[in-house]
Amino acid sequence: MNTFAERFSVSGSAAEIRRAKEVIGEDDDFTGVMWGSAGGFGNLSKGVPTFSVPSVPDPTDFLRLHTDDHADPSCKIKIKHGTTTLAFRFQGGVIVAVDSRATAGSYVASGTVKKVIEINPYLLGTMAGGAADCQYWETYLGIECRLHELRNRERISVAAASKYLSNLVYSYKGMGLSMGTMICGWDKTGPAIFYVDSDGTRLKGDLFSVGSGSTFAYGVLDQGYRWDLTDEEAQELGRRSIYAAGHRDAFSGNTINLYHVKQDGWKFIGNYDVSEMHYNGPGGTGGYGYGVRVEGRTSANPAS
Amino acid sequence: MDISFALTGKGYVLIAADTTAARSIVKMKSDEDKIKVLSPHLLMAFSGEPGDTVQFAEYVERNMRLYHIRHNHELRPPAAASWIRRSLADSIRSRKPYAVNLLLGGYEPRERTPHLYWIDYLGTLATVPFGAHGYGAYFALSLLDRYHDPEATLEEGLATLRRCIDEVSKRLVVSPGKYKVKIVDADGVREVEL
Amino acid sequence: MSIMELNGGSVIAMVGKDCVAIASDLRLGNQSLGISSNFEKIFAMTDRVYVGLPGLATDVLTLREQFRYRLNMYTIKEEREIEPETFVHLVSSALYERRFGPYFIEPVVAGMQKQPNGSFKPFIAATDLIGCINFAKDFVVAGTASTKLFGVAEGLWEPDLEPEDLFETIAQTMLNSVDRDAFSGWGAVVHVITKDKVIKRTLKGRMD
Repeated sequence: MNTFAERFSVSGSAAEIRRAKEVIGEDDDFTGVMWGSAGGFGNLSKGVPTFSVPSVPDPTDFLRLHTDDHADPSCKIKIKHGTTTLAFRFQGGVIVAVDSRATAGSYVASGTVKKVIEINPYLLGTMAGGAADCQYWETYLGIECRLHELRNRERISVAAASKYLSNLVYSYKGMGLSMGTMICGWDKTGPAIFYVDSDGTRLKGDLFSVGSGSTFAYGVLDQGYRWDLTDEEAQELGRRSIYAAGHRDAFSGNTINLYHVKQDGWKFIGNYDVSEMHYNGPGGTGGYGYGVRVEGRTSANPAS
Repeated sequence: MDISFALTGKGYVLIAADTTAARSIVKMKSDEDKIKVLSPHLLMAFSGEPGDTVQFAEYVERNMRLYHIRHNHELRPPAAASWIRRSLADSIRSRKPYAVNLLLGGYEPRERTPHLYWIDYLGTLATVPFGAHGYGAYFALSLLDRYHDPEATLEEGLATLRRCIDEVSKRLVVSPGKYKVKIVDADGVREVEL
Repeated sequence: MSIMELNGGSVIAMVGKDCVAIASDLRLGNQSLGISSNFEKIFAMTDRVYVGLPGLATDVLTLREQFRYRLNMYTIKEEREIEPETFVHLVSSALYERRFGPYFIEPVVAGMQKQPNGSFKPFIAATDLIGCINFAKDFVVAGTASTKLFGVAEGLWEPDLEPEDLFETIAQTMLNSVDRDAFSGWGAVVHVITKDKVIKRTLKGRMD
């Protein structure tokens, strides 16, 4: 048997050894080249990434024809969408909160999606729109940010990182990329948030929410927002706002992921189940749910 | 796009609707009353297709009046809601359906209970503690989940309503400027200032 | 935008040992927007016949009114209560009358059928939106979560479940199926029907 075929064979001595290695958790079969700095981003080590395209006259039209479920709900390929993400700046840093639901049509494909991408210890990116697009390009952004650090002996600013991403997605404009993201972090200038989307829009701001449930999140967020919020109040507001969206929006929900960015980098605060928040609230401190909150109260007035 | 909100409080229903009448990109009027007084204890906010809205609202108004005259008694809120819903449900399967969304607020003097119904142009009816139509719903419903209190006094209810209006003014691209607010309670129907 | 998915909602019915159960969710939505979490879709036709009406919400209400009317006419004419099997045919013909402009509802009927010897036999059936009847010996499903309900029910259901076990089976099937459907959920309700009583329980479900 030739050596190449042997690697994939399920019987024979080579397979026996491979199984043994799996049991003890060794994987030195793989050379350093495979898991080097290019880890996973194979063609990235050569510079600008390249992508293969279908051999049809207009690849962009082809992709849109088969994936755009707004134009054609019966299309075969459904790109996962539907999300609520938010981020806001306040006296104590930046709060980033997201839900964790991914839907394909009416099917809840996953309830445990990580929609906050940890670019590096000082930078967070949120994910709305195409999950793969966000994951890929924000991880790629992480590589470029690290290279910036090595080249310039200083951390990249949030403004520069977001500009890098913005320019990058803009170069693919019209080809079907779909992302609405917030790049959040702390740099020399203090806490910062930039909204970047695949149209090429890039906005600096104090408070953003993105996704199908964003309006619901805004409703709660705007009303409770102040610059001088304490850390606990701010975390509660972020959590409460994502809950609101998870409750009202069919395409958002399942769990909440909460992050707090301070001067010394981001910290993961916790993962909260939306339904648990509805009935009991964080740590059983009282449910957020309307029915739970107004239990026993009535608008009827037989007394007076 | 019209926006309307409604919420219940201790012994009352508050209904608010914007006052703009727009055609194409032009505001034709900015003091249009989009809340009809159907009977001494019944209010109805209407929004939707221009033309259909007023036609349907007046049709309902005249039928409520007719019932009042014939029976010397106003239709109770649940009965009125049921009749109005049926009118819309029949209309949606007719040759020329009314495209009108409603918020129906009423007060039942005998049981001393406020009633609020969310009705859409298809004839869908839901009993709700608060409701909204138009793009305002996407901002106000989560806000009301957080701030609405069924035992709120009129002042508190108005404050919550003001939050809804402020939020929509802040976030909605084409937000209307002015709103008309009406209340129905044990004393009947009247307009209130925000 | 599918008209069957406009408001969301799902119903399931199951057969047990000398009992049947029927369950639905409580959501009323407008596409992605949740409007109400107390929109019931299951209605008692008699003490032993229940009908679930998932689909377009306006037709849920219209059909409930129409079935009540037709049932009253039947009861007056026949001077007896309707049996579930007869009721399914009533439902079917009411729907087929609108063959070319249908009600967007897929009814599910569950009840206890009186036998010639005076005993009662569990009965379930479902129809499509123009009245094609599907009699089943195990379970029937309908609504936006129907595909998910089929999968879970196929795994959990077994023959001859006692009322309490049937309740547990249908409740778990409902709850876990609607969690995988964006348009169903926001609480659920279960009715367990035996020959002499009906137990209604409102379930605490995920509220997202």
